[in-house]
Amino acid sequence: MTELRLTGEGLAPNRPVPRAVAGDKGFHDRVMGWYGIIAFLLLWQIAPYVGLADGRFIPPLSEVVTDALKLVASGQIFIHAATSAQRVLLGLIAAIAVAIPSAMVLAGWFPRLTKFLNPLLQLLGNVNPFALFPLFILLFGVGELAKFAIIFWSSLFPILNTAISGVRNIDPILIKAARSMGASKAVIFRKVVLPAALPSIFTGLRMGATTAFLFLIAAEMLSASAGMGWLIHNSSMNNYIPRIYVGVVGIALLGMLMILLLNKLEAYFLDFKEEVKLG
Amino acid sequence: MKITADTFWDLFYKVGSIALFVLLWQLGCLAGILPKTFVASPVTIVETLWQYLNDGSLYKHASVSLLRAFYGFILAALVAIPLGFMLGGWFKNFERVFNPLLVFLGQFNPFALFSVFLLLFGIGEFSKVAMIFWVSIWPILLNATLGVKSVDPSLIKLARSMGMGKPGLLAKIVIPSSAAFLFNGLRMAAGTAFFMLIPAEMMGASRGLGWLIINAQINYQIPKLYAGTAVIVVFGILIDKFFRYLEKITVTWKEAQAI
Repeated sequence: MTELRLTGEGLAPNRPVPRAVAGDKGFHDRVMGWYGIIAFLLLWQIAPYVGLADGRFIPPLSEVVTDALKLVASGQIFIHAATSAQRVLLGLIAAIAVAIPSAMVLAGWFPRLTKFLNPLLQLLGNVNPFALFPLFILLFGVGELAKFAIIFWSSLFPILNTAISGVRNIDPILIKAARSMGASKAVIFRKVVLPAALPSIFTGLRMGATTAFLFLIAAEMLSASAGMGWLIHNSSMNNYIPRIYVGVVGIALLGMLMILLLNKLEAYFLDFKEEVKLG
Repeated sequence: MKITADTFWDLFYKVGSIALFVLLWQLGCLAGILPKTFVASPVTIVETLWQYLNDGSLYKHASVSLLRAFYGFILAALVAIPLGFMLGGWFKNFERVFNPLLVFLGQFNPFALFSVFLLLFGIGEFSKVAMIFWVSIWPILLNATLGVKSVDPSLIKLARSMGMGKPGLLAKIVIPSSAAFLFNGLRMAAGTAFFMLIPAEMMGASRGLGWLIINAQINYQIPKLYAGTAVIVVFGILIDKFFRYLEKITVTWKEAQAI
């Protein structure tokens, strides 16, 4: 399947600092990562005043922040964020609940069937979900069900296909070794297959979550009455420019939060994998 | 070519499931299990495609779409490859200053930004190209950075000890040894560019494949809708294959090394 990377996720935010650099921990050194962000924000604030950008279309940062604070004070932003998060989670959890067990069963118990089905699954994963948008709307209307179906479909295939390839790529020696020591099927599954496939499962989850978020915003822009995508769409319809930027930055922060949560979850589960190895 | 049992099984595993799927789809349509109001049969889709191919409209829409994707993609490559090389290690602190900002910017949802692009550039060609540019820049940037980081330091030291300057180092060491990463990034970006082109065209266009299917939906022309979707799928796969082929014929030194 074509790997899609629609955001900068994966630019390695937590790359370990080389020892030689980590040694001299001055103040300047520790805050270096913030310089770029601060420069960007300053530029945003100043550009409309010095005529670098049209203030009507790119309002200064202070106006955007003021509007964001207004939304926070009235509590509206939380309603939109919660609505969006709920939609993503619902679709994503349903996709996980279908994809991971079926990947395990297919690749673990029916390797031949999996080999047979693989081209079809890759093809379906390659179908651009946007191209299916009109179809989903015809089938499910414009309500919550259509949004759920879009998110479910778009995150299903990244998760399913990476989980299948994760199980298929397990070193056969590991399974043979476990079998020769008399491990039962259930034990092999729990102690060998699942831990060995976990890293690729998490890669798939991260891809699925990114895709789900992308399609959520698109779906909310087409038809909704709440949610972050709707917030942007509505503000742009009403020509309320600062609020568009609140939405843009808000979605970016929400997306970063979700990736952060997934990384934490992965770290937690991969710890578990090491414990299995030690025991 | 003689058809042996091996080639048969090979073919069976490659296209068997897809053929079966299409067959079931066709039978389902014929038997009336799949309602005609929502699902077009494969035969109808092929007929529709043939008709569009003959009256030239398919060519017109596809060429418009491909050109848009191409512009956005080329712009992204021109920006992202040099930037990725700089992030990957040309300047020591460059990455540490700019990486967090780029991670933040990378999270900006292309749809959310589409509203901004519309404000800035209007509803014309440029906002669509800007959106494609925005989504294709990230895979190229990521892979260029990784590619430069993966260059074996002893190669650089060796070349430098023989008195090679920075331009020579870039041309003879850095680019060849990171080429696999670069191609991977370009391939992903091209796929993404074509992927995002469709919604960009759905939101405001009067030509192109995205417009073709959204127009089919509005006019409730189901066969047209499926035919457009099929063309988009085929193009997506072809673009992927093209870049894999390009990598194979360009990066020849990897195999030469192995021998």
